Amino acid sequence: MNLALLGGAVLNGLVTGMLYALMGVGLSLILGLLNIPNFAHGVLYAIGAYVLVSASKAFGFLGGAVAALAVVAVLGALIEWGGVRRLYRVHPDYILLLTFGLSLILTEAIILVWGPVGITFQPPALLAGAVDLGVTTYPKYRLLVMVVTGALVLACYLFVTRTRWGAIIRAGIEDKDMAAALGINIRRVFTLTFAAGTGLAGLGGALMAPVRGLLPTMGLDILPFAFVVVVLGGLGSLPGAILAGLLVGVVQSLMTAIWAPGADASVFALMTLGIIARPQGLLGQR
Amino acid sequence: MLEGRRGAVVRVALLLAAIVVLPLVVRPVVASEIWIFSIAAMALNLIFGYTGMLSFGQATFFGLAAYTAGLLMIHWQAPLLVVLAAGTLVGALAAALIGYVCIQRVGVYFIMLTFGFNQMFYFIAYKWTSLTGGDDGLPGIPRPPLALGPLGIRLDTSVRYYVFVAAVFLLAFYAMKRVVDSPLGVIFQSIRENPGRAAAVGYDVKRYKWLAFTIAGGFTGLAGVLYSMMFGIVPLESISWIISGDIVFMVLIGGIGNLYGPLLGAAAFKWLSETVSIVWERWPLILGVALVLVVLFLRGGLVEAFARLREATAGRGAEA
Amino acid sequence: MKDGGILRTEGLTRDFGALRAVNAVGLEVRAGTLHSVIGPNGSGKTTLFNLISGEIPPTGGRVWFEGRDVTGLPSHRLPHLGLARCFQRTNVFPKLSVYENVWVAAFSRRRPGALGFVRRTTEFAEVDAEARRIVDEVGLTHKVAARAETLSHGQQRALEVGLTLASSPRLVLLDEPTQGLAPEATQQMTRLVQSLAGRYTILLIEHKMRIVMSISDRISVMAFGELIAEGTPDEVRENRVVQRAYLGGRR
Repeated sequence: MNLALLGGAVLNGLVTGMLYALMGVGLSLILGLLNIPNFAHGVLYAIGAYVLVSASKAFGFLGGAVAALAVVAVLGALIEWGGVRRLYRVHPDYILLLTFGLSLILTEAIILVWGPVGITFQPPALLAGAVDLGVTTYPKYRLLVMVVTGALVLACYLFVTRTRWGAIIRAGIEDKDMAAALGINIRRVFTLTFAAGTGLAGLGGALMAPVRGLLPTMGLDILPFAFVVVVLGGLGSLPGAILAGLLVGVVQSLMTAIWAPGADASVFALMTLGIIARPQGLLGQR
Repeated sequence: MLEGRRGAVVRVALLLAAIVVLPLVVRPVVASEIWIFSIAAMALNLIFGYTGMLSFGQATFFGLAAYTAGLLMIHWQAPLLVVLAAGTLVGALAAALIGYVCIQRVGVYFIMLTFGFNQMFYFIAYKWTSLTGGDDGLPGIPRPPLALGPLGIRLDTSVRYYVFVAAVFLLAFYAMKRVVDSPLGVIFQSIRENPGRAAAVGYDVKRYKWLAFTIAGGFTGLAGVLYSMMFGIVPLESISWIISGDIVFMVLIGGIGNLYGPLLGAAAFKWLSETVSIVWERWPLILGVALVLVVLFLRGGLVEAFARLREATAGRGAEA
Repeated sequence: MKDGGILRTEGLTRDFGALRAVNAVGLEVRAGTLHSVIGPNGSGKTTLFNLISGEIPPTGGRVWFEGRDVTGLPSHRLPHLGLARCFQRTNVFPKLSVYENVWVAAFSRRRPGALGFVRRTTEFAEVDAEARRIVDEVGLTHKVAARAETLSHGQQRALEVGLTLASSPRLVLLDEPTQGLAPEATQQMTRLVQSLAGRYTILLIEHKMRIVMSISDRISVMAFGELIAEGTPDEVRENRVVQRAYLGGRR
């Protein structure tokens, strides 16, 4: 295998990895605070992509991406407020099942609105074409996605660890009842966190639309990998999700270059080995 | 546990009646599928309804058994009973190994681990086309005759196969009933109710969870074998998490923790998918809506719905 | 190991990060006695129980039960060695009936070999008899078929004790059995505990001083994770250190 191929694979891995990290961060926030694996995370990623396609016709690419973030965040808030909220007192399993049902409904809804056929979406003209990096040439848009997604992930991390709002979220993750007792409107925090986590997924979907194309099942396709990232990274650990996301992305990409048939299975093998070797995840505590 | 004998006899009678009537109401093929998935749903009910572990990866055992059965029949012309035994064994063995890893974790982690393993095996099956046929499935599966001593009963028509499937189902149902009526039934439930206390009274909780998972894997494997012979082909979806999700549906919609719930769920699910899918291609949306409604408003599933109906009509009868 | 010491701890310690919840506790419980552990809230009593019964492992020290080192054994092993406990926060099986609750606890000590499991629960006559006996003993006969979650608080505390007895232990750790009970229920529970004395060795955590003083053979006093005094009820009552730290002479 030559260097150009390897370089390309690594870069692809970083692009995918940043996406996985973004998905993982959103999922991890929801998981840590609400204790549920959000099965709808994948389909919301998909909806973000589809909203971009429609909204960009009126508002351009940037406007479309913002619309994707906004629409999915609002949808997330509605889901939390209308459904998830009723089940906090019941059992986390049921919230999982609720989000599972929602993922089915929303996937079918995508088909109803945008049709069952795959769509390709071109990156904005400004970012078309490739860049020569010496080792290999690489599409400009993908580089941008890598950088932007990376910046988003970093911003999230800083928000959660450095700001007052972030402290409130972390307090809620650690001990909801105590946080509520301290006068924090924990219900609002839950709704906002859910909206933010899902919004990130939607934005991720929008950014990746030009890279991967769109299919109604794209949400169901990416969901398992997002789960792997969170499990591998450690429950509720944001740095863990980021690290795991990058790791999974790079491993998957390298395996695709080395031995494509084993690429996807290897991700799950990685998760299994990770859990066996270190049950709390890479950077998890509990 | 403290149930009336009369109630039990009535229920069994209803079950036998259902078995006889079903192929007259729906096509024998659909009826067979209902009993096949009833077995898989009962298995999930054992680990979810009774033991409190939500597995989102039962298709792993369903599919592994189906492929094993298919390969045995294609390459070695294995007889029917051998294939049934092998599939059940493969399901149990795979569950023993995978279960051992998964039960090290609880709750969210456990679910995702079962899901992750399912994905892994799905992708292996998808890519290992020389063994499994990949996306096209594994074709050419015969239906070996049932060899009982000198007798060789052919199962080549859908009606004959239905009778066979129903018979196997009844045996599986009886076996599951024995498991649930044995001390394991209460022990599993105590683990669901309060694993810490179950340990404090002397049960090695992990070991019993593992046992539940393994037993369920065996039953699921049996279902997988029966499925492999349904259409003469083992489709890739046998091992996909779509089937895992379907089985979860059935248990939930039917009513968890109740022995008959999964049967109702399997029937409802299959009937829905058969009838509605003809009318509307987007029928999974209805499935999703049904699941959401059950989860929010009727967590006891159809069993609860019937119970409430009985109470309501009994109340009105008393007033009248 | 001294004679008659059914339970002994030495230097038992548990840290939670920087907090030393239990500090080098050395306790000895003599067989057949009712030994109470008292102390203000947060003095480490329940943590001490958790260390002894295997709920959490100690960070230091050892525990001997009937001469056998049981330090750090997982909680599910101890009932089989003869040690059982009840919990301060009611810890039963909510959706199982009272009968099933006690049955499953009793069965744990009477398990047959693997093949024995094949029988139906109704076929284990010995376990059934024992379960009913215990339900009677803790005064829940009239609620035997009721789901545990429908029981009143007092009835749940009684069930809590019942689960502990179902393991046929020789040493029983009772963690505040009268917790949250009204006066009449408290009296009933006290009578129950007294009826157990002599048949079981009892290690009791209690807050209600009158009870402790009247039924205990020996009392250990804890404060801030440490054992500050030990002796007969009279000795403890007159102990200045204890008075200062805790009793204040009243209650």
